[in-house]
Amino acid sequence: MFRPFMGWAINSASNNMRLISKALLWYLVLATFVFGIGGIITFLLLKDALEQETDYELNRHLRQIVQSLEAEHPWQALERNTIKIFPLEEAVAEESRVYGDTLVMHPRTERFENFRKLIALRNVNEMAYRIEIIDIYFEQDDIIDVVAQILWRLFLVFSIVLLLGSFFISRRIFKPFKELLIAIDNWNLKSNSPLKIPNTNTKELQRLNEFLWRMTNKARHDYQTLKEFTENASHEMQTPLAIAQGKLEILQEDASLKEDQLKLIQSAQYSLRKLSKLGQSLSLLTKIDNQEFATTENIDFSGIVSRVSSQFEELAEMKGLKIDTQIAPDVDLQMDPMLADILVTNLLKNALQHNIPNGWIQLNLDDENLSVKNTGAPPQTPIPELFERFKKSNSSNGTLGLGLAIVKKIVDVNQMGVNYEFEEGVHEVKVMLK
Amino acid sequence: MKILIVEDEKELRSNIHAYLGNGEMVCETASNFREASMKVISFVYDVVVLDIMLPDGNGLNLLGMIKEEQPDTGILIISAKNALDDRLEGLNLGADDYLTKPFHLSELNARLKAIYRRRKLQGKSLLEFGDIKVNVDNHEVFVNDQPIVLTLKEHELLVFFITNKNRVLNKQVIAEHLWGDNVDYLDSFDFVYQHIKNLRKKIVAAGGQNYVQTIYGLGYKFSKQ
Repeated sequence: MFRPFMGWAINSASNNMRLISKALLWYLVLATFVFGIGGIITFLLLKDALEQETDYELNRHLRQIVQSLEAEHPWQALERNTIKIFPLEEAVAEESRVYGDTLVMHPRTERFENFRKLIALRNVNEMAYRIEIIDIYFEQDDIIDVVAQILWRLFLVFSIVLLLGSFFISRRIFKPFKELLIAIDNWNLKSNSPLKIPNTNTKELQRLNEFLWRMTNKARHDYQTLKEFTENASHEMQTPLAIAQGKLEILQEDASLKEDQLKLIQSAQYSLRKLSKLGQSLSLLTKIDNQEFATTENIDFSGIVSRVSSQFEELAEMKGLKIDTQIAPDVDLQMDPMLADILVTNLLKNALQHNIPNGWIQLNLDDENLSVKNTGAPPQTPIPELFERFKKSNSSNGTLGLGLAIVKKIVDVNQMGVNYEFEEGVHEVKVMLK
Repeated sequence: MKILIVEDEKELRSNIHAYLGNGEMVCETASNFREASMKVISFVYDVVVLDIMLPDGNGLNLLGMIKEEQPDTGILIISAKNALDDRLEGLNLGADDYLTKPFHLSELNARLKAIYRRRKLQGKSLLEFGDIKVNVDNHEVFVNDQPIVLTLKEHELLVFFITNKNRVLNKQVIAEHLWGDNVDYLDSFDFVYQHIKNLRKKIVAAGGQNYVQTIYGLGYKFSKQ
C-alpha cells in the first residue's frame, strides 16, 4: 500500500510557506540592501555636487566684487548680509580659502544654519582687502532627508510592483508546477494509470516532469510485477498442492499402513491444507488490493450477517460457546456481497478461535456499527499490530494470522473503519460502517 | 458410472483416476481441449470432471459443447481459481458443481456421486449399505426397514460415509464436508467424534451393524468387515 513519505508531511507542516512568498521575501531583503547602498552613494554624490556648486557661486561673487573694486566702487557700497569687506593695511599675498560648516544666524529663518564661507585676500588698485562671502549651503541632514524621502518612495513603488508582478507572473510560470502537484496528489499507485503530467516549456520543470514520469512508471511497473507475482504464486501453488494431497489420500487407503505411518500422512495433509489456505488468503488480499471487488451495488448487509452468523451457531454450540446476535433489519451497504460475507465470516471465525471454554460471542449490527465481542485470553501482540499480516495473538493454535488483515483490507477498500479493544477479558472488534 | 476427467496436469489426472477407478467408476481421461472435445463427441459419459483452465482452450467453452452434445451429462468444474465470477459463470452455463483446487479426492467422489444421483437416477435413488437404506432426497433413513431419525448433519455424514464406503476418511475431510472452511482443525476432532458417536448409537439401537471403523491416528472407514 502506498503511504505518504512521513518526512515530507512533517516538513510541510512546520515550514508551510509558498515558494513564491519565499522568493519574494528574499527579493525584498536584497532590495533593502541595494536601496541602502544606493542611498549612501546618492547622498555622497549629491553632497559633492552641492559643494562644488556652492563654491562656484562663491568664486563668481568674489570675481564680481573684485571687478567692482577695480571699477573704483567704494568697498562700503559692496557689503551685504553675506559679504564682508575688510580693507587691510598693507599688500598681501593673494589667496582664497573655503571653509565649510560655518554656523551663522540665518537672516530670515533666524536660526543657525550651516553656511559655506569664502575668505579671500586680494590686492586691488594698490589696496589690500580681505573679502568674506558666505552662501547658504544644504545641510547634511537635509540631504539625507531628501535622499531618504526619495528612496523610501521608490522602495514602496518597487515593492508594490514586485508583489503584484510576482503574483501575476507566478500564476503564469508556476501554473505547470501547480498542475503537476495536483496530478501527483491525484495519482494512485494502485489505479495503474500513468501520472498525468502537464505540458511545460520550462527546462527545470521538464526535467522534474521527466523524472517523476520515469519514477512513477517504475513504481507502477514494480507494483504490478509484485502483485502479479503474489497472485500467480498463490494461484500456481494450488495445483501441485492438490497433487500432493491426492497422493497422500491414495496412500492412506493402503491397508498395510501402521498407525504411526497414518499419523505422518495426516500431519503432512494438515500442512498441505494450511499452505493451500495461505495461498488462497494471500490471493484474496491481492484481489481486494486490485480493486477486483469494486462495486456500486447495494446489498442487504443485515441478510448477509444473519446468514453467516447462523452458519456459526452450530460450530459455537459444539465448542460450548454461547452465541448471541442482535441484528437490525434493513442495513444496506454499497459493497461486494462476497466481501461482506468474508468480512463477517472472518470476524466470527476469529471470535470462535480465540475464545475460552464456556465463553460467549456477541454480535451486534445497527445502522452505524457491526460489533463482535467475545471472551478470550488477553492478546499477546500489541494492539495496533493485530491487523497486520501474520500477527497472531496466540501462536500456539493452527491459524494463519491473516483473518484480521483481510478484515482490515476489506474495511479499507470500502471506506469503513475498524477498531479493536480488549477490556476485562472481552475482545471487541468494531467495524464502523459509515 | 462412467466419467471423463479433463485435466491438463498429468499427476492430478492420475490421482483422480487412481482414486476413483478402484471404486465402481469407469474413468477416462483427457489432457487437453482437443482430446476432450473428441471424446465428448464420440462417447457418452455420466459425469465430466472439467478443469476450466486448459492449455489449448477455455474449459467453459468445452462446457457449452458438452451441454449441446450430451445434455444429460453432469458436469463438475475443478479450478485453481477461487473467483466467484468463474464459479457463477460455470454454474450459469449449466455445470452441476464446482470444486476449488486443492480438493480432497473423497470430497470429489461424494460430489460426483451426488451429481450422478440427481441427473441419472432423477433423485429417486436409495443408497444402500448392508442393512441401511438412505433416501437422499427426503432424508429418510431405514435400518432393517425401520425408520430412524437423524439430525441433518448426521444424515449428511451417513451419506458421505456410504458414498465413500471402504475408504479411509480423515477427520479433517469429514469436518470440512460437514461444516465447510469455517471449521477449525483442532476443533474438528471433537466435533466429528461427537457426530460419529451419535450416528453409531442410533444405527446400533435400531439393530443395525456398526460399520464405522476407527482407524487409529487418522480417521474412520465405513466398511462391512
